[in-house]
Amino acid sequence: MEKASIIDIKHLTKCYKNADEAAVKDLTLSVNKGDIFGLLGPNGAGKTTTISILCNQISADEGEVMIEGHDLNSESDLIKKIIGVVPQDIALYPKLTAYENLKFFGNMYGLRGKVLKERITSSVSDFGLEKKLHSKVGTFSGGMKRRINLIAGILHKPNILFLDEPTVGIDVQSKNVIIEHLQQLNASEGTTIVYTSHLMEEAERFCTHIAIIDMGKVVTVGEPSALIKAYPGCSNLEDIFLLLTGRSLRD
Amino acid sequence: MWLKFKASTIKELLLLMRDRAGLAMLFLMPMLLIFIMSLLQESTLKKLEERHTPVLIVNFDNDSLGINIVNGLRSAGFFEIHELIDGKQPSLEELKKLVNYGKYRVGIIVKEGASEALRNQIRCEIQQMFPAEEGDLFSPPPDPDKPYPEIDIYFDPITQPTFKHAVSSALNEFTYAVEAKMIMGIYAQMLNDIVGIEINRSGNFKNMINLNEQYAGNRKKIIVPNAVQHNVPAWTIFAMFFIVIPLAGNIIKERESGMSLRLRTMPGSNLAVIFGKANVYFMVGILQAVFMLLIGVFVLPMVGMPALELGSSILALLLVTISISLAASGYGILIGTISTSQEQSSIFGSISVVILAAIGGIWIPTFMMSEKMNIVSKLSPLNWGLDAYYDIFLRNADVSDILIYILPLFLFALSCILASWLYNRYKTSN
Ligand SMILES: Nc1ncnc2c1ncn2[C@@H]1O[C@H](COP(=O)(O)OP(=O)(O)OP(=O)(O)O)[C@@H](O)[C@H]1O
Ligand SMILES: [Mg+2]
Repeated sequence: MEKASIIDIKHLTKCYKNADEAAVKDLTLSVNKGDIFGLLGPNGAGKTTTISILCNQISADEGEVMIEGHDLNSESDLIKKIIGVVPQDIALYPKLTAYENLKFFGNMYGLRGKVLKERITSSVSDFGLEKKLHSKVGTFSGGMKRRINLIAGILHKPNILFLDEPTVGIDVQSKNVIIEHLQQLNASEGTTIVYTSHLMEEAERFCTHIAIIDMGKVVTVGEPSALIKAYPGCSNLEDIFLLLTGRSLRD
Repeated sequence: MWLKFKASTIKELLLLMRDRAGLAMLFLMPMLLIFIMSLLQESTLKKLEERHTPVLIVNFDNDSLGINIVNGLRSAGFFEIHELIDGKQPSLEELKKLVNYGKYRVGIIVKEGASEALRNQIRCEIQQMFPAEEGDLFSPPPDPDKPYPEIDIYFDPITQPTFKHAVSSALNEFTYAVEAKMIMGIYAQMLNDIVGIEINRSGNFKNMINLNEQYAGNRKKIIVPNAVQHNVPAWTIFAMFFIVIPLAGNIIKERESGMSLRLRTMPGSNLAVIFGKANVYFMVGILQAVFMLLIGVFVLPMVGMPALELGSSILALLLVTISISLAASGYGILIGTISTSQEQSSIFGSISVVILAAIGGIWIPTFMMSEKMNIVSKLSPLNWGLDAYYDIFLRNADVSDILIYILPLFLFALSCILASWLYNRYKTSN
């Protein structure tokens, strides 16, 4: 009945050097192949920290992570080839054009020549940016930058795509383009998507599975519809979220 | 790996080419420095040695002493000799006035009969050396009561004592030469009279002793470059090391913008990315060197300075340039890695390069430094590069001669990169 898990996180703990408290505490979680997995939680919950560990940006203090059967610590280079990462902050070169940026990132994944060129042009037109292909990214609006930021993470057709708040600070149209494209990627290529957000409505609509984490710990995990049924008195994810994480300010 | 390196290089090249201001700084700054510093040093040198000081000589003597002084000063080259004012010989009063007003820095008067008086004195001396019973050696006999020959020198009132001294010693030299010549002449005449041998008197008695001028110190060989030979390589190296600032700034910018975190999620070693970046600055360093050396060879002569001679080994020149650029790139990587902010890196980078330049003999050549400072200067990689260039330009050094400079530069680059790598590993494990 269970689908094969593609990411297995066990007892993950990370405490930043100058922090009093661990950002991620004994976190255990698994993501199945083909899921659109939402990692939800209030500000400072540890979402970015968790994703950063999964995609090799920082190292964990304790715990074990297996991705597609490879150990994150010892086989990171294998893992890097099959994952795509879209960071929370836009990481592009503003002085380079969209095309130059994407070509650079494609090269970083070993793509080159005609294949790369075709992938760039098709992705860019999927996201409605073909006219801007040869303009400098620095001149783009926030929404356009986000879309290029996303394309840079999927050019190499990763098996697993990590996105950290890909829909923050953009209009409904851009957000819909992004969500639709990700759903399409999930359906056609079978890409597993792990995504963080604190937008409950979006997550409820978009995710096949979610985990709510708070203060570095998983507070609940499951399919959105099943969770709503499981918590009496809750009619949507936001109700569950508030129920589990409280109403007080975080961060 | 190769693709990653290539892509980083291309990306960095594009970024650099779009940074017009940064690029201008990398090429214009050293060019200006070379011009300004060479011109400044060249003109002070000229002031010291080559500027022709106007000298007014009135030769009332018109005999060997007067003529020798005029010709001697003229051929010495530092002076501009004038004998006539408006076509005629000035009087003593006129000369004093002209010198006092600064029209001439020096006025020299060789008094009438000075040569004759000198001859008389010499004869008196010779006569005294012989026993009295020999009788008169000369006819008519010399008159011991006749006055000594005199030369009066008037100086412009603002003249520096060192300059006065230089003029008096020049005059002394010429008068001694005349004296020696006369003595020899008189003896020759006497020999001729006594023994009856005709002696050729046109012998030249100048400069029988060579003065070897050297700088004190026990350095094995001292090379003293001219303004161009010093300034062109010195500021080239300085500029090449200045790439530390944009390179380090670039590394930090990439880190602050989250770009290096993103790059860390990508397969392959991150060293390829860093090396791609450093590669561009390395090439910029080479270009800077080519550009500056060409200025030394072709442009400086156009503004009246000596042309830079590149020595005999282009391969040695290339190897030195490569190793300097490599050392600078390595240092840039290190500064970029250990600094925590743009400000910190540009302050630390520029101050450290300026200090290394100062102790390395970029500003003030090491041959003008004290013995102690000369040892300290050996600590600066800029000095290794400068010494290597000196050796190539001034001594026609070849590849084997400059290995002692290239090797440390390579090692320096290597240890910078190693230190950065270790530091990075330590950082990311936290
Ligand atoms: N580089 C860092 N050094 C020290 N502490 C950090 C660092 N990054 C994050 N933290 C701390 O770790 C905790 C978790 O942060 P994290 O960024 O993972 O939260 P998040 O869930 O992504 O929040 P947000 O929704 O605001 O993005 C927070 O308390 C934060 O202050
Ligand atoms: Mg976050």
